Amino acid sequence: MSETQAPGTANADRIVKALVAAGVEIATSLPDSWLSPLIARIEAEPKIRHVRVTREDDGVGICAGASLGGKRAVLVCQNAGLLLSANVLAGYAHHHQLPFLILAVYRGSHEDRFYYQMYKGLVTEPVLAALGIPFHVVEHVGDAAIVGDAVRESSLARRPVVVLFRREALLGDVKATS
Amino acid sequence: MRRSVAAGLLRERLDPADIVVCGLGSTSRAWREQNAPHLTYYASDPMGMGPALALGLALARPERRVVLLEGDGDLAMNLGVLITIAGAAPANLRVAVFINDRYETGGGQPLPNAGRISYVVIAAGAGWPWTGEAHDEAQAARLFSSLLEVGKLGLLAVHVDPEPSPYPTDPGPTSQAEDRAAFQRRLFGER
Repeated sequence: MSETQAPGTANADRIVKALVAAGVEIATSLPDSWLSPLIARIEAEPKIRHVRVTREDDGVGICAGASLGGKRAVLVCQNAGLLLSANVLAGYAHHHQLPFLILAVYRGSHEDRFYYQMYKGLVTEPVLAALGIPFHVVEHVGDAAIVGDAVRESSLARRPVVVLFRREALLGDVKATS
Repeated sequence: MRRSVAAGLLRERLDPADIVVCGLGSTSRAWREQNAPHLTYYASDPMGMGPALALGLALARPERRVVLLEGDGDLAMNLGVLITIAGAAPANLRVAVFINDRYETGGGQPLPNAGRISYVVIAAGAGWPWTGEAHDEAQAARLFSSLLEVGKLGLLAVHVDPEPSPYPTDPGPTSQAEDRAAFQRRLFGER
């Protein structure tokens, strides 16, 4: 990575290249400060149509509609968006059985610096397990291969699959200030 | 205007290649009763997701016009989606909202602030490039044509009479996932 690049820029590039390689053509997003490099890279990617949403469950619905139409899609959001979208995720996983990918930043764990994020770290994995949504946790930067695997898993299982990124997995080992 | 009349006016004006997405509840029932030949996806639950699902489908199939037949209860659950759709602004998406001010299938309970909501003002304020509102059959006939011919994203609010819309006693022979698969076989077979 060039020393002039902002933290996370090179990793965002790896993740978006993995999305493109996996055939993802539509992305929806709602920001988190840890996601800024990834969302900027998605916006700049000519092979992906990027839609900004006002709520994360709209992003889930858009991904479901894209999947219905035969396209691979991804929602990029904070784990708060997974909690907000519990009913919608369960509906598209079990009622419609539509596959798509969710890349979510994992706020509220040991590397977070904000007290108001902590409750999300406590409940995210149990909620996803209860919903029957497969999920994977990425701990370290450079683990972008999981993206393609998760897209394939989603298609095979005909349901959404979630990849939860730790801060280091998105931004490297720079100190958390946001 | 009865909802079946409004659904019939839409059916008469659709192109055979149009794809219809139906929100849940009484609008879905009104469209089923048309027995229209158009490729249709009944979005069912989760409630509030019809517009987002239709947007995703429209983005995935830009060569096809997608018409969402939506109820005001479903739309009111998630008005923020009007901003999201206006931001994406796919030229192949149209939305017709049937307004009866009630949660019809849920038992006819009124929506919050029933009768004093203007969905066209909300949509226009969210940045929709075309909106229209029909209070009777003559207006609906004219504005359904305008909606379909406008050539860009549009929302038509259609006021319909309150009518009973009880839950079906028979769930039918197929699951939602089976209906989804049948829809996709027809969609992909038409490529």
